[in-house]
Amino acid sequence: MHGRPRTAPKPEDSADSAAKAEKLRSLQSQFLSNHHNKIYTKEALEVNAKLLEINPEHYTAWNYRKLTVEHRLSESEPDPDSVKSILREELRVVESALKQNYKSYGAWHHRKWVLNKGHSSIDHEMGLLDRFQKVDPRNFHAWNYRRFVAALMNRSEVDELQYTTDMINTNFSNYSAWHNRSILLSNLLKTKVEGFFPKEKVLNEEYELVHQALFTDPDDQSGWFYHLWLLDQTVKADAPVLISSWPAHDSNLILSGDRCLDDCYLSAFNTFHSDSGKIPLILYFNQAVEGVNSSTISVESVFNTKGELSWKPLSTNNSETAQVWVTHLNYPEEKLHSSEAYPVEVRVGHSQGIISSSGFRYNQPSRFAFKVFVRSVEKDPAVHDGEMISWGDENFLLYEAPPQESNPLVSLDQLNIKDYHEQTSSMWRAETIANEIALFRELLSVISCKIGKLTLARLLVAHDTLLSPCAKKMVHSEEVIKLYSDLMKLDPPHFQYYKDEYSLVLLQQLTFSRESLLRYCFRHRDGASSFISNSICLRLNNLSLSRMGSIERLLWVQMLDLSHNELQSIEGLEAMQLLSCLNLSDNKLSSFTALGPLILLKSLKALDVSRNEIGLHSIDTTRYLCSSPLSHTEEIDWNRDEIVTGDVNLRNYWEAFLIFRGLHLTQLDIVGNAIADEKFKSFLVKIVPTLKWLDGGELH
Amino acid sequence: MDSSASQTPTVSQRDQWMVEHRIFQIYDFFGGLPRKAQSAMLELQRENHMEYLIKGLKRLEPSFSVLDANRPWLCYWILHSIALLGECVEPELEDNVVDFLSHCQDPNGGYGGGPGQMPHLATTYAAVNALITVGGERSLSSINREKLYMFLRRMKDPSGPFRMHDAGEIDVRACYTAISVASFLNILDNELVQNVGDYIVRCQTYEGGIAGEPGAEAHGGYTFCGFATMILINEANRLDLAGLLDWVAFRQGKECGFQGRTNKLIDSCYSFWQGGVFALLQRFHSTLDEQLALPHSGEGDCTNDSQKTGLNASCPVNLNSIGYNFIKQPAETEPLFHSLALQQYILLCGQDIEGGMRDKPGKGRDYYHTCYSLSGLSGCQYSSAEDEDSPPLPSAVMGPYSNLLEPIHPLFNVVLEKYYEAHEFFAMS
Repeated sequence: MHGRPRTAPKPEDSADSAAKAEKLRSLQSQFLSNHHNKIYTKEALEVNAKLLEINPEHYTAWNYRKLTVEHRLSESEPDPDSVKSILREELRVVESALKQNYKSYGAWHHRKWVLNKGHSSIDHEMGLLDRFQKVDPRNFHAWNYRRFVAALMNRSEVDELQYTTDMINTNFSNYSAWHNRSILLSNLLKTKVEGFFPKEKVLNEEYELVHQALFTDPDDQSGWFYHLWLLDQTVKADAPVLISSWPAHDSNLILSGDRCLDDCYLSAFNTFHSDSGKIPLILYFNQAVEGVNSSTISVESVFNTKGELSWKPLSTNNSETAQVWVTHLNYPEEKLHSSEAYPVEVRVGHSQGIISSSGFRYNQPSRFAFKVFVRSVEKDPAVHDGEMISWGDENFLLYEAPPQESNPLVSLDQLNIKDYHEQTSSMWRAETIANEIALFRELLSVISCKIGKLTLARLLVAHDTLLSPCAKKMVHSEEVIKLYSDLMKLDPPHFQYYKDEYSLVLLQQLTFSRESLLRYCFRHRDGASSFISNSICLRLNNLSLSRMGSIERLLWVQMLDLSHNELQSIEGLEAMQLLSCLNLSDNKLSSFTALGPLILLKSLKALDVSRNEIGLHSIDTTRYLCSSPLSHTEEIDWNRDEIVTGDVNLRNYWEAFLIFRGLHLTQLDIVGNAIADEKFKSFLVKIVPTLKWLDGGELH
Repeated sequence: MDSSASQTPTVSQRDQWMVEHRIFQIYDFFGGLPRKAQSAMLELQRENHMEYLIKGLKRLEPSFSVLDANRPWLCYWILHSIALLGECVEPELEDNVVDFLSHCQDPNGGYGGGPGQMPHLATTYAAVNALITVGGERSLSSINREKLYMFLRRMKDPSGPFRMHDAGEIDVRACYTAISVASFLNILDNELVQNVGDYIVRCQTYEGGIAGEPGAEAHGGYTFCGFATMILINEANRLDLAGLLDWVAFRQGKECGFQGRTNKLIDSCYSFWQGGVFALLQRFHSTLDEQLALPHSGEGDCTNDSQKTGLNASCPVNLNSIGYNFIKQPAETEPLFHSLALQQYILLCGQDIEGGMRDKPGKGRDYYHTCYSLSGLSGCQYSSAEDEDSPPLPSAVMGPYSNLLEPIHPLFNVVLEKYYEAHEFFAMS
């Protein structure tokens, strides 16, 4: 339908074209009459050929040809020469039809049909394709046909790759050629065809090729897309890896059955209170995986006696695949009051079954171990849940870690528990990225180009990530932050994207070392007397973050202050299973959908979302980007009686309902959002029966 | 780095520069005009468009003979354009169209490209959409739905997707036209839907868009077709939607129009194909929400045993009501593309002031581009309207408010009013 030649007729042509139309009409009616009367003579075929040469879109005419060919082949079965000549004629007709319109679906399809009959040769077809692909190198019909012929005739993928090289050398803007190249190379690398192993050598050559395109014209899109694909091939770890856990390896966890008093010789970072005697066990992988269960993960602990542990994916879209998985260890109540240490050992992936969403197996069995000290602490009768958390600055004192205290970050890097049998490959990665970095710095010193800056920033991040297990700090974070700051100014339409990337890098920088992290750790004055069991509050407020990241380093956090940022989403926060107090006030959260990850935070007690933009926009753009909590089909017990009361309009509030009904909040601050009128508040009180304080006021 | 490798621009670059140059000249000229003249330049030339369209419906110039196998398409492009302009054609002409399309209808179901031609899915889609656009008892009842259903079943490949015609090619277009027609005519069932989603998922590329067939490049037309199909069969969740959004967002060029594929020239027809993807995204999520939050009591138990594919598996949905529910939902979001910029491109660069629309400056007008430019323009104008009943704000309509076109149903690309009429008709019969 599209791309047909559209020339405005000139007056002198019109007589001519009227004659042509007349001729076409006559051919058409002859053809239809032949078709309907099942006339398959040579003359009839010629009429049909003439018709198709003028109008290749006539698919009925193509089908008629197929019928005729079948008919004639059944007549001349034993004679190979006449078979040949019949099929040769078909190829000729297709070819002249394609000359008329090389975008004709019917013509290309007819040719495939002929080839499936085992006619023609690869050279002949390649010759034909060369001609058509020269005329229009982006013609996707020709590219599709090319892939068809190559597969049918077993043309080597190496030769096809060479063809894309030739096409790119003629015109490096030809994205169709780059695209086909990525498909071919993926196959060649996967099957380790001779000359395409090791992958490192091949990819180096690809970098050289794409550099030529990028450096000749940095404004051309094609090369950059291919470069992005290449970078992905270079850095992506195929096999899933465990990158973090809670409790961390080698840590001493203090579990207290009762309120934990301010006990300064205990590690504040590793104290955890549980009324129920349950502690979460969290596994954080570098990518989404499936197959985490009691047969792929073994947990040895004296108290793990209640049979198999049940692992749950922390996923907001209800899939069986997730980057973070959680289970709970049970400590029998009677033991909670003794003071003993119980070692726990976790083995991951010793039996197969953990698979990434792209189909790669977890292949580096690893183990980590920690000790649980159960502390019996006398319950102070004066202390109960009856106090409200206050987030004011005056309640916080910078935390001064006792020198002997265990480092929250020590051994966070589970990377050191796997062995590096991929040494050479990872060295190559680092080296390649370093080369690219040098090259793009050079390019940017000559010209200023947005996509160049973005690529450099991505390369620097990739470089730091590759080196992170051994590095003391994020070497390039300052430079990356500067690049993203520049980009925000240079390219306002994509501001938000750069801002998000900026936030992630900033968070990496802040959480990377113990020293930097401790600058954000505070002690809350009420810590011991409220429902937070350790008194450390991580305060990442006022950093103009638009997105949360580096969560794999923050699994220990129970009290988190993210207020006065520019958060539009809290994706990823679902991994922070210990979180009991969360301050999200003064951000840019614009809907309850954006709070989706909270549904998975079962220990959350106090939440502050005041002064956000919930209800302000009828528009909810976060839904495009985050997985919606609504695809999360935890059973929805839509009991209308429960909530349909008075004039509350369900339709307006059901998003809030989905979020809050699963939480057991005792404290909620929601003031300063457009939605938070009296009607809404009374609705909240109904659906969150545990609520004691709403917007600072005590209920009941 | 060897930057002297080749300083000569490639053909694509030269073409791109020429297009940019030409378009920016137009915008510069426009920018220098006084306000009043600007407004005049942005005006949709309704009368001229009508004249051009009516002429095509009555008699086509001989140069259109290459479209002989696509005559229902011409009917649809022209009639739909007229309906978008809020105009009608004389009853006699309408009757002619209905008669003509009846001649194209195959005795065994489906519509061919012309009388006597074999039925084809694309022309079936065009014919059905054209007949719905004409509307009225005579037109709607001329469609033989039982036979058409049998035709669709015959076109379904055992592996799931559809063929364009008997022994024809399999691709995403075929899936869309088949599913769209079936949904429209209230004959969509599980047999037709089976494994279509698997095929379309295989067509989504690493870039995020959807290709015509597995292994090919992502392409605007197929991305619309693939995504719309997935919505109609309630499997859109299986696509990488973030990737899809990413891809389509980057297809709007600095010339303000959309390109169809990476590093191709922009073309006004993608105002609909790519712009339409945004329109779908805008309503897609709210539809999902609604199904989940308020399960209809008549639809049986909504148990959550099978959570494998998320929402879809857990809640049986009446396939034929998806299109209707879809449009009944409030669109909750602002457009995620630059709507005014696209309108500017369509009006200043795509419009032939003598009537008709074109691909880009320097090209000739044609009915295909007229149809899809106007469809895209309508999509832009309504892209900020919250629900189908509220007219868009003047600020959402580029140029004089009289440019406002009729709204469309974004899944089928039929004017909304006509959609409702047909929906009611086919729901009853």
